[in-house]
Amino acid sequence: MSDAVTKQKEDLSRLNEDYATKYGFHDPVDYFDQGAKGLSHEVVEMISQKKKEPRWMADRRHEALDIFYEKPTPKWGNVDLLEEINYENIYYYLKPTGQSESWDDVPEYIKQTFDKLGIPQAEREFLGGVSAQYESEVVYHSMRKDLEEKGVVFLDMDSGLRERPDIVEKYFGTVIPSNDNKFAALNTSVWSGGSFIYVPPGVDVEIPLQAYFRINAENMGQFERTLIIADKGSRVHYIEGCTAPVYSTNSLHSAVVELIALDDAYIRYTTIQNWARNIYNLVTKRATAHRGATVEWVDGNIGSRLTMKYPCIQLVGEGAKGEILSVAFAGVDQHQDAGAKVIHAAPRTSSRITSKSISKDNGRASYRGLVKIHKNAEASKVSVECDALLIGTDARSDTYPTMEIDNDQVAIEHEARVSKVAEEQLFYLTSRGLNEDEARLLIVNGFMEPFTKELPMEYAVELNRLIELEMEGSIG
Amino acid sequence: METPKLSPSQLTGPEWLQAKRAGSLTSYNDLPLPQRGLHLWRYTDPRTFVIDSAEATTTSVESTFADVARVEKQHFDDGHLDALVIDNQGQTITSDLSADASAAGLVAGSLTAALDSHRELAERYLYALVNTAFGKFEAMNGALWQDGVFVYVPDNAVLTRPIHLLREAGTNGSRQFPRLLVIVGANAEATVIDEYGGGADEAGDTPSYSNGVVEVFGGAGSRTRYISLQRHGRGMNAYLTHRAQIANDASMVTVPLAFGGATTKQNFGVNLNGRGANSEMAGLLFGGNYQHFDNHTLHHHTVGDTYSNIDYRVALKDRALSAYTGLIRIDQKAKNCEAYQENRNLLLNPGTRAETIPELEILNEDVSCSHGATVGPIDPLMLFYLTCRGIPTDVATRMIVSGFVASTFDKIPSDARERVAAIVESRLGDI
Repeated sequence: MSDAVTKQKEDLSRLNEDYATKYGFHDPVDYFDQGAKGLSHEVVEMISQKKKEPRWMADRRHEALDIFYEKPTPKWGNVDLLEEINYENIYYYLKPTGQSESWDDVPEYIKQTFDKLGIPQAEREFLGGVSAQYESEVVYHSMRKDLEEKGVVFLDMDSGLRERPDIVEKYFGTVIPSNDNKFAALNTSVWSGGSFIYVPPGVDVEIPLQAYFRINAENMGQFERTLIIADKGSRVHYIEGCTAPVYSTNSLHSAVVELIALDDAYIRYTTIQNWARNIYNLVTKRATAHRGATVEWVDGNIGSRLTMKYPCIQLVGEGAKGEILSVAFAGVDQHQDAGAKVIHAAPRTSSRITSKSISKDNGRASYRGLVKIHKNAEASKVSVECDALLIGTDARSDTYPTMEIDNDQVAIEHEARVSKVAEEQLFYLTSRGLNEDEARLLIVNGFMEPFTKELPMEYAVELNRLIELEMEGSIG
Repeated sequence: METPKLSPSQLTGPEWLQAKRAGSLTSYNDLPLPQRGLHLWRYTDPRTFVIDSAEATTTSVESTFADVARVEKQHFDDGHLDALVIDNQGQTITSDLSADASAAGLVAGSLTAALDSHRELAERYLYALVNTAFGKFEAMNGALWQDGVFVYVPDNAVLTRPIHLLREAGTNGSRQFPRLLVIVGANAEATVIDEYGGGADEAGDTPSYSNGVVEVFGGAGSRTRYISLQRHGRGMNAYLTHRAQIANDASMVTVPLAFGGATTKQNFGVNLNGRGANSEMAGLLFGGNYQHFDNHTLHHHTVGDTYSNIDYRVALKDRALSAYTGLIRIDQKAKNCEAYQENRNLLLNPGTRAETIPELEILNEDVSCSHGATVGPIDPLMLFYLTCRGIPTDVATRMIVSGFVASTFDKIPSDARERVAAIVESRLGDI
């Protein structure tokens, strides 16, 4: 074995211990503000009062809570795990500190957390704005001056509601109403934090805006709420990442993300979800694309115990475009139930869904998708491609696409493939001197490449490292 | 929703069968009506298949039935068939067997009669795949079937000509519960054409109702072709569940064809249960008017080294709707499987609707699987090519559709192909 290979192997074995040291730590915290465990109208009222919200929002929260109580738990996805969630054993609101605009003002333990995660460093290097959420509240927030001058609004959601109530009231809950599903209702009733972005007409936010979400406490529920509005002809790229410490009991992350791309606007939303393996990640993400607008979801799911997430694009204006690029990695005991939905509700709309999943050990990756073509959506085009790679005899892959086509002048294609790492490819690489581990890793990286190449450099590197970490020791 | 409890006046048959019927009846009465939210019921209202009385209702049959029966009888007399079985609403079941078939030991005829003559086989295989707890509507058939058809091909018997089952439903307001059991022995070879006709003629008539169950067994090394041809009248609501199981090195071709009925819900499934088993499904559905089709297919690989392929084609015109849900499931211990699935939907005019849900559940890594689905109109380029060569648009359209259905036609034995071609032709007539 060559030295380089030996070194790579050493790197890999180091990476194997990484999550615990890199993200798995937690801070002992005396919370500035800590609600009681469990869910009730009192808790909802407490959250709303603490935030000094307008009454309409408080009413909206209470209404949503009633919807949450009414709605049954979904009978699909992973029913067993969903039934395990004990809503009474969760903290719905934890406030660690006030918000800072200067990194120096952030409390030391939080600063260390985000330093370890590389947040301000990334900001200095390549971001237009950064928001960092710790438990329920955004603790750090900053944006480049030039963007501010152009009228770009990038705030945490609570500040957004305070400072731009006009925009928030106009759009909040219009893409995902409270009664959309049980978890959207839950989020609407107890939401806290998240990002609010408004890009004025014609403004191109050339460098990405980023948010980072961190759960620290055990039994914490994080319910951030994000609303992004790209006004006519504007462009914006938003990136979010998430981690949490490793606890023995489960935590819940249930976000709602609404995107609105007005005429000819462009929004790209990139997620690298790397929650610890005890997080239930039940997220509702949906975008509306108006005439000529483009929305792209780039969605990577590496962590969590169970993820149920199906980013959706509603193409409501003529010529709107949607693209969803999704990748899921299901390792030990993980179930990644991810997918994509596109609703074509206007003529000459087009969409493309590319889903890549890897199931390893006893992991289970499911693609669950919907393509709906409404009667009026003539001359629309859809292409769906799902690739699944299985590694190990206990791995499981499911594909549940649904296509509902109500117009005859359309072109719809769906393809899915499931396979293991091809013997010929392994043979080819091993005959050129790579050992089987390295060969397999190379093949897996190639399999993921259509996804990784869409990520900003730093993220692509990080993702490749994560995959390496997951792949380590995959061959007996 | 509460559904009316059924209480048939008696549960017929030998003791073991009465027990099965009683079990089925309990299942039917206890199981709730499937919820619309469940994915197999998303597109069809389960109430369509609820009945209020347990009795089969027979009526006179269409005059066309006599003609069809005469044609088939002629086919038989001319030596094109190994067996012809005529099932009139599950009431009278007559059968003719060719001399060769009789010599080979073929049994094809009344299921009730087989309960006596082939008791062991019937007891072993009946309800083995579609059991009393399979589902609410399957249990309804399990409790209430009157008579059905029994086909037994002994080990090593090779039947070169089709076994044609002609099963006629009653007209307006009729109600029937057809049942079929096919057992193909080890290394035997047989083709079964299971043709369902009759039913209320027009969508506006008092609907007729049919709830059928089919169980097919392919023994080791057997080769079976099973063609299900549904050409009911436009006033028929039909529910059909088919399950087949094939043993090692057996091959089976299943051809579900659906043309008739008001609301049709069919479920075809093959369990690949022995190494080297090979299953092909080639489906064709051609809907018009306000017809509603909801079809499911299942390829379940329970054993490794098995191969399956599905090609399901749908052509729709007028306001017809087709929902197709196809599942490939590969169990954890079933290594080295190959499974493919394709669903093509051709929409011939605005107002048609096609839903397609090709699903995969793969529980081990050592597989090669793929599925594909397409939905779209006739390719304008193809149409352009033909029309520039002087072919009128309507003729060109028919040619393209004929090409679309041709691959399925190849899987249909000549005896049934004529009739299928005539149906497709009549559908194409007014395009």
